[in-house]
Amino acid sequence: MKELIRLPLVLGITTIIAATALSLVNNTTKPLIEEQKRRELQASLAEALPSAANGVVVPVLDEEGKVDYYKGYADKDTTQLVGYITLAYGVGYSSTIVTMVGVDTTGVIQGMRILDQLETPGLGAKVVEIKYGEDKPWFQRQFIGRRADELKVDKDGGEIQSITGATISSRAVTNSVRQAIQNLAKKIGGFPQKEKPTV
Amino acid sequence: MDVKTLLMIALAAIFINNFVLSRFLGICPYMGVSKQLDSAIGMGFAVTFVMTLASFVTWIIYYYLLLPGDQNLFGILFGLESPPDLTFLRTIAFILVIASLVQFVEMVIQKVSPVLYRALGIYLPLITTNCAILGVAVLNIDEQLNLIGTLVQGFSAGIGFTLAIVLMAGIRERLEMADIPKPFRGTAIAFITAALMSIAFLGFSGLSLQ
Amino acid sequence: MAVGKEFIKGLYSENPVYRMVLGMCPVLAVSNSVQNSIGMGVATTFVLLGSNIFVSLIRNWVPKRIRIPMFIVIIASFVTIADLSMAALAPQLHKSLGIFVPLIVVNCIILGRAEAFASKNNLIHSIADALGMGIGFTLALLTLGVTRELLGSGTLWGYPVLGGGYNPMLLMVLPPGAFLVLGLYLGLFNWWDQRRKTA
Repeated sequence: MKELIRLPLVLGITTIIAATALSLVNNTTKPLIEEQKRRELQASLAEALPSAANGVVVPVLDEEGKVDYYKGYADKDTTQLVGYITLAYGVGYSSTIVTMVGVDTTGVIQGMRILDQLETPGLGAKVVEIKYGEDKPWFQRQFIGRRADELKVDKDGGEIQSITGATISSRAVTNSVRQAIQNLAKKIGGFPQKEKPTV
Repeated sequence: MDVKTLLMIALAAIFINNFVLSRFLGICPYMGVSKQLDSAIGMGFAVTFVMTLASFVTWIIYYYLLLPGDQNLFGILFGLESPPDLTFLRTIAFILVIASLVQFVEMVIQKVSPVLYRALGIYLPLITTNCAILGVAVLNIDEQLNLIGTLVQGFSAGIGFTLAIVLMAGIRERLEMADIPKPFRGTAIAFITAALMSIAFLGFSGLSLQ
Repeated sequence: MAVGKEFIKGLYSENPVYRMVLGMCPVLAVSNSVQNSIGMGVATTFVLLGSNIFVSLIRNWVPKRIRIPMFIVIIASFVTIADLSMAALAPQLHKSLGIFVPLIVVNCIILGRAEAFASKNNLIHSIADALGMGIGFTLALLTLGVTRELLGSGTLWGYPVLGGGYNPMLLMVLPPGAFLVLGLYLGLFNWWDQRRKTA
């Protein structure tokens, strides 16, 4: 009978000691982890909309209180709107590909970063591949400067060069980004046409 | 969660991202118990049962005890405004739950089928260290599945494991009679066989219910 | 037994991967690149050290019947420490290794050494054992990591070593490649070992 009490007691005390030690470690590392996540988000936002990198990016929430999209301003006083940033979700080959894309006020893509993907290494995963010596993934660089309706992979008659052997992944990114920008346009009431610059 | 999503979860766990041949979970028992068909089937069922049960219990513990929020039981029982975020205790809590479940299953099998109990031998308590069980529990949380999705994934992962181990046992029983070069006998040739099975399962990669 | 001997045995004669065929899951999963291999090796060695040290220290006070759950609590605690530390200090590696970081807790090597060695030997020897096993594990991971990354991506630690013209053997970084390379190396190891014995 004594055994029946002693054994769980010893185990219980050990667990409590362990849990206490761990909560100390947790409290130490938690701020660091939060900081990492914050930096990651800032870097992604800056890459998506470089013109707002020195200004401020303001999230716009939906009815559930989650971030719907971002408005980017070139200045910290939020007077100069330079563009928007939104998230695109595309069903890829073996994972959902999450892309953050930024457009200027006329809907032209300024930058893009794929945040999450678990596609096949060497094939679909090449959507994030950076060639040695370069600074941006070549596949994503194709999107910069284009508008939503231009976004189609070559196989669908468009100009986005898809990755050899990874049509599904390429298409997922392309179509989801196009969709996301078109959805964004609906939310903000459409993109004004850019006036041809008079030179 | 609609039926189509649940079906996709099941298909993914069994074929597209088979837990053993694609996710590399459960290799130790896969290699250890696949020498004979009977023990492989028994192990497969035991693992499936533990996986489903473990998925259920660990999910409940995570969402009602560890995760802060309105549903946190500590908050409800002690009237806490903001219950503590105990998610860092996930690993400890999960593995202890799994270890207890395996003990329990071991006792049940011993009573219900002493033959199976003897056949599985040391491998039964080893289900605790079967990374597939902890693996599926962690994946359920990381992939943010709800309770139904978790149950489906837990069960399907077990089925996928059973499929892989039974297929392997069938092949290995035949390999016993083949003339394998000495250094490769046993585990080495088993891994090479697994490589071939994995390639076959890669064929399922493009499967989707679009 | 001399301390040195306890250390050396983990490297070859009792190599946890090639000799005792333990810890297979992470070996297959993270050996697709040198960076992941070393990261996992270091993390596992850390947990091995922590667990062996603590188990050895309390070995005379642990009631026999609950020793396994006690070991598990100790191991799980160190894994949590490793998990949180990695998320805070090396987020890229943490993301790459994914679920295999918490899965270190079920790496049979760690529980195996706690049960078979640390619970029966003094502190110094247990430390040597942990270091030997950990480094042996890392070396085994590296044999696969170097092979799979070199042949499967043409790179080593991300640097293109085989030049731009190399057409990578994609299979190497995919699951079948992992099984195949491990199987071949296992066979090779056995063959070499048998030759040593009959020489």
